[in-house]
Amino acid sequence: MMKMNNIYKIALVGLLTISGACTTGDLEPSTEQNKPVEGGIATVGNLEGVLKGAYSRMTGSGYYGRDYIVTNEVRTDNCFSNGNSGRFTTQASFTYDANTGYFWDDAYRVIASANIIIGQDISVLTGDLDYAAHLQGQAYAMRALAHFDLVKQYGQQHAGGTLGVPYVTEFKGDDLFPARNTVEENKANIYADLEMAFQLMQDAYFDDSREFMSKYSAKALESRVAVYFEDWNRAVSASEAVINSGLYSILPANSYVSSWSSTGNANSIFELAFNPADNLGSNSLGFIYKTGIDANGDPIGSYGDVQVIDEVIDIFDDADVRKDILGYEGTLLRNLGKYPNLQGFDNVVLIRYEEVILNYAEALFETGGDALTEINKIATNRGLPAYASVTKDIILDERRKELMFEGFRFDDLMRTGMDIEKYSLQQNFAATIPYGDFRLAFPVPTAELNANSNMVQNDGY
Amino acid sequence: MGYATATKEEVTGSTVQLKAEAIEQVPVASVDQVLQGQVAGLVFNNTSGTPGSATDIRIRGISSITAGNEPLYVIDGVPVVNSDVNSTTSGSSLSPLASINSANIESITVLKDASATAAYGARGSNGVIVITTKSGRSGKTTFNFSSSYGFANDATSGPDPLTAAEREELFYESLFNTFGASNGFSREQAQAFYEANVGSFGSDYLNWNAAGRPEANWEEVITNKNAPVQEVNFSASGGTEDYNFFTSLGYFGQEATVIGSDFERITGQLNFSKKFSDRLKFTTNNSGSYSYQDGLLETSAYFSSPRSVKYFMPGLDQPYNDDGTINLQTTLPNPLWIAQEDIDDSKFTRILSNNALEWDIPVEGLRFTSRVNIDWQVYNYKRYRNRISGDGASDNGYGWQAHSNRVNYVFQNALDYRLNLTDDHLIDFKLLQEYQENKYYYLEADAIAFGDDGLTNLSSAGTPTTASSFFNDWKVGSYLALAHYSGFDGRYVLDATYRREGNSRFSDENRWGDFWSVGGAWNLHKMNFLYGNDAITNLKLRGSYGVTGNANIGLNQYQALLGYDSDYAGSGASYPQTFGNSDLTWETAKSFDVGLELGLFRNRITANVGYYRRESQDLLLDVPLSLTTGFTSQTQNIGRMENKGFEVEANFQIVNSEKFNLSIGGNMATNENEVLELALDPNGVERTITTTTTRIESGQPVRAWYMPTWAGVDPATGDELWYVDGEGSATTSNFNDANQVYQGGSALPTITAGMNFHVDFAGFFLDANGYYAGGHKVYEEWHRYTNATDRFSTQFYQGIDAVLDRWQEPGDTGTRFGKFEYTARPWQRHSKFLYDGDFLRLKNLTFGYNFNPSFLEATGITGARVFVRGTNVLTWVKDDNLQYDPETPADGFTALTTPPVKSWIFGINVKF
Repeated sequence: MMKMNNIYKIALVGLLTISGACTTGDLEPSTEQNKPVEGGIATVGNLEGVLKGAYSRMTGSGYYGRDYIVTNEVRTDNCFSNGNSGRFTTQASFTYDANTGYFWDDAYRVIASANIIIGQDISVLTGDLDYAAHLQGQAYAMRALAHFDLVKQYGQQHAGGTLGVPYVTEFKGDDLFPARNTVEENKANIYADLEMAFQLMQDAYFDDSREFMSKYSAKALESRVAVYFEDWNRAVSASEAVINSGLYSILPANSYVSSWSSTGNANSIFELAFNPADNLGSNSLGFIYKTGIDANGDPIGSYGDVQVIDEVIDIFDDADVRKDILGYEGTLLRNLGKYPNLQGFDNVVLIRYEEVILNYAEALFETGGDALTEINKIATNRGLPAYASVTKDIILDERRKELMFEGFRFDDLMRTGMDIEKYSLQQNFAATIPYGDFRLAFPVPTAELNANSNMVQNDGY
Repeated sequence: MGYATATKEEVTGSTVQLKAEAIEQVPVASVDQVLQGQVAGLVFNNTSGTPGSATDIRIRGISSITAGNEPLYVIDGVPVVNSDVNSTTSGSSLSPLASINSANIESITVLKDASATAAYGARGSNGVIVITTKSGRSGKTTFNFSSSYGFANDATSGPDPLTAAEREELFYESLFNTFGASNGFSREQAQAFYEANVGSFGSDYLNWNAAGRPEANWEEVITNKNAPVQEVNFSASGGTEDYNFFTSLGYFGQEATVIGSDFERITGQLNFSKKFSDRLKFTTNNSGSYSYQDGLLETSAYFSSPRSVKYFMPGLDQPYNDDGTINLQTTLPNPLWIAQEDIDDSKFTRILSNNALEWDIPVEGLRFTSRVNIDWQVYNYKRYRNRISGDGASDNGYGWQAHSNRVNYVFQNALDYRLNLTDDHLIDFKLLQEYQENKYYYLEADAIAFGDDGLTNLSSAGTPTTASSFFNDWKVGSYLALAHYSGFDGRYVLDATYRREGNSRFSDENRWGDFWSVGGAWNLHKMNFLYGNDAITNLKLRGSYGVTGNANIGLNQYQALLGYDSDYAGSGASYPQTFGNSDLTWETAKSFDVGLELGLFRNRITANVGYYRRESQDLLLDVPLSLTTGFTSQTQNIGRMENKGFEVEANFQIVNSEKFNLSIGGNMATNENEVLELALDPNGVERTITTTTTRIESGQPVRAWYMPTWAGVDPATGDELWYVDGEGSATTSNFNDANQVYQGGSALPTITAGMNFHVDFAGFFLDANGYYAGGHKVYEEWHRYTNATDRFSTQFYQGIDAVLDRWQEPGDTGTRFGKFEYTARPWQRHSKFLYDGDFLRLKNLTFGYNFNPSFLEATGITGARVFVRGTNVLTWVKDDNLQYDPETPADGFTALTTPPVKSWIFGINVKF
């Protein structure tokens, strides 16, 4: 009996010892939410997932979800920051420094995702390989757009220099410490990527939701880039390609205001998707552009830092439907009509047909073409009478009114060599910022400079 | 001591032990709070005074830059998980230790050097805190009842906000300074200028004057004065030769010193031990607890946090309407309404079951022990934001609920063998095998648009917005061999430890690490030349050297992974989440420790002096990457860092008699931290890690304060000035021209000390102990809002009264603030807001009476005590400008969290 007992004990000890032992393999961690990058993309569907991830990165509040658009409005004659929550006062007063966060990191994250797609050998994937090429086309267009946005904000072209930004074309490539390319090099790379995008994308995959880029999104972007760099002939041909596709149309006056709370409108060439389940909430455009008024007329309490300068209402003709985008909360002039949902449920349109028409009009004006017809397509669809003649100022004014609050104004002032004029007490900066001032190029973030000694800071920071 | 037990003479390492008596008297939610001031070299930081909050403990400095610096916690021989259980980073933290009843603890031992921690080798770099729960004692069953009740208030009141009248005056002054010259009005006419231009400047002051200038005191509104603290414990202990038990039931409740927050805990413990035979013994220690924390949004300056309201809400806004209802038209959400309507509840259930079987194998000196420990943690979080006012108003109500559970298993098998070479030479061997696995599951959902007021569960919400779940795990396997030699009548003691440990945080080629230590002690008082010396009771020289490790980094960092917690246009999306590094392996630390322990006159006087040096290498460092890679950093094994210092402890029993005892004691420790090496980029340039206030660079302490140096106020213009390149260089009024420079020191104290005093006479006793930390600097956060000389303090938010010391007219010299202007400046962090962190705090003061057992005999009571205890009664702060509580979180930034509390507790303890 005693012996049996001992055998039982020894068996128990043996069992317990085994339960405590382990090998290297036993220590393998679970990865239930993740897949390795290596081998994680095996199908065209996987590739599309990464592409959606890249779009999702564009929707972040640091980039097109809010900051990029707002920063380009509060530094102009359109808007200022009333500092209600302490947001955007730094940008609006041009007092940013290398520690002020902006979208450098956000844009390069989009580029990293795009480069995974571009660098993928699609011939090894299972699925519709034509569609895979179409996805790669979108990634090229996205990479061009992100670099274009970067060079506009961080490049030295309006601050007396020639340096642009590093043009990154590989995910985890050989050069992890890139130096800055010149603005000219950036421009060439952007055009090349847009041409590649146009070539790879196919008409058959036109996306009616407009939440994904299509073939002519690349051409529309090209017209935007060409106008920015004053490559007028390229702007004409790119715009014409979009117009001749027949896929898009100018919204009529009666649906202009309502279009901002609906999706996939006829004028939309590309828009970022937001909805009640996927939105930025308190970090959205809606939350920063207004305070929100409840049924009793009391403020709801959103941030509402970004206010419209009082004088801006005067540039609109009473018959102009675009005036209805603006409105008052109490005595404060606001953007009430664009991105109207307070929680950011609305899609953010990045490229719309009216911009292409305006690009086209301006490029025609510069090259001696029929700009008047084009500008009147805008004016007459906004409740205004047709212009009898056209000047550059008329085109730029129409552009300001049409694209107000959408993040175009700062770039338009820059590319036309204008000062940032101090004309209202409300503007956060004290005196006119002359064209060429160092503050017109954003500082490269400190984190980049600390990690990468090949990086050069812009002058003045 | 966890794996092994040893008498004091036999210890070769640096350890400090706290016994039950010192622990159980302190009514705290989280038991680690009793360690402050008691252990030389232990730096204690409160993250918040909200009851149940996590604390930051650092032992002998900071050993790692990116990997964790938290010590390893061991309960009844088993390493446990001690990370914040709260699933929200915005709300109050909740420490797993808050689930442990301090009345059930027999001892807490802090292990500081390699010899002591090497048994836990792989994870012992940051020190080890060993908690042992009470076990039963054979004999007649004894009962212990204790109860205490008291009141708590903030230990420090913090800066005083401006009154509405002061704020108004400063506002007019800012208008005069900005527009007076250009618009042609005098200082006296500034109010008239304002009233003529309310369209541009807002009508706040106009309305306030019209209403008769009512002054609100928001500090009073948000304060829960004399917040009650209550604790009740009942325990029983007993047994026979065959078995013994300890069982207890406890309740702890504490209201926060701010409105709308409290903490409650119910605990039960059953420790049971039974001998099945002479050779087989079974022990089981089980505790169960349920904690409830009604928390706050407090980790940042959230507008709906009552602490933010105290400093951000102007006195112009009234808490109540004229009819007595809560005013909802306030600049920030009214905290009275938020406390009443919103919910931030954490519910935490924890069951710890530790079961051991000991078998004295029928071989002389050999024993086998097998232990299984289960730590089961279930956590529920509920957040609700009401529909009417506050953060949920724009959503028409917002709800969020999270559920998580964590299961942590430990299996241990150990063989102990005692080899008796002769009676004078003894070697103890231990072989141990351990496997630990942690599984964590998390589920959350949120929703908006609630159907009606007062309905706070997600089923009442119209629009679901998020549903998410995830699972992760980590695993640790290890083998330990330990030998302990004691010989020549205990004159010489030697320890050697070897541990091999594998961790799932590293790739399969780099998973295992080897750790070891050697230690020795020489008990000089047993040597012939001191033998028979009456004065010297104890004299021991000890030293140790060893290699310990740290693997405290995020999970799956070695793998280059795609993340899928993203979506676009209604479908799932993926993105590159981690850069990956398959070379990743253990961070190691080489620790050297030497000490001398002295006991004089039968240990009436004891002292010990020690020196340590710990060099961490192959740091698990988040090396900054160029942001153009799409990542911010990659975890690499690179860099070295050093911590060194002296530690002294001394105790004097001045009077030691039956009726009267008097003793004083104290400890002091220094710490010098220096980064020795960091990653380089291809040009050979060090990749420093720099923020607006700190920099990590070799040759400096880690996160040394690094910011522009303030140069005062220009007496002629009233502009704030800064040195272009640190003190002594040219000054500038353009902040962007002022370069960041080192300010000397970091947030880590270089000197800490504890002091204690005890006296008892005829049953009465008085205990006091204090804590000092110094040599570090702390930074006043949120000064852009509270210390602004612009619209932030006069129009948007609320300043503190420090800003009244400002420049007003040419010739004003020596003011701490420049002129007020009608503008809104960006964050400008500089040395004006960096203060000496030195402080001294009387942590505990206890006065009580022990009833003489002989008087109680007739009642059947064997012991009784009554006491009154004060906590954080007095605080001295070196720097007058440091108005917030000097106990900041470990990062050295003052926070708008609840400060530590000053409490007075009345208690009674009866044994029968």
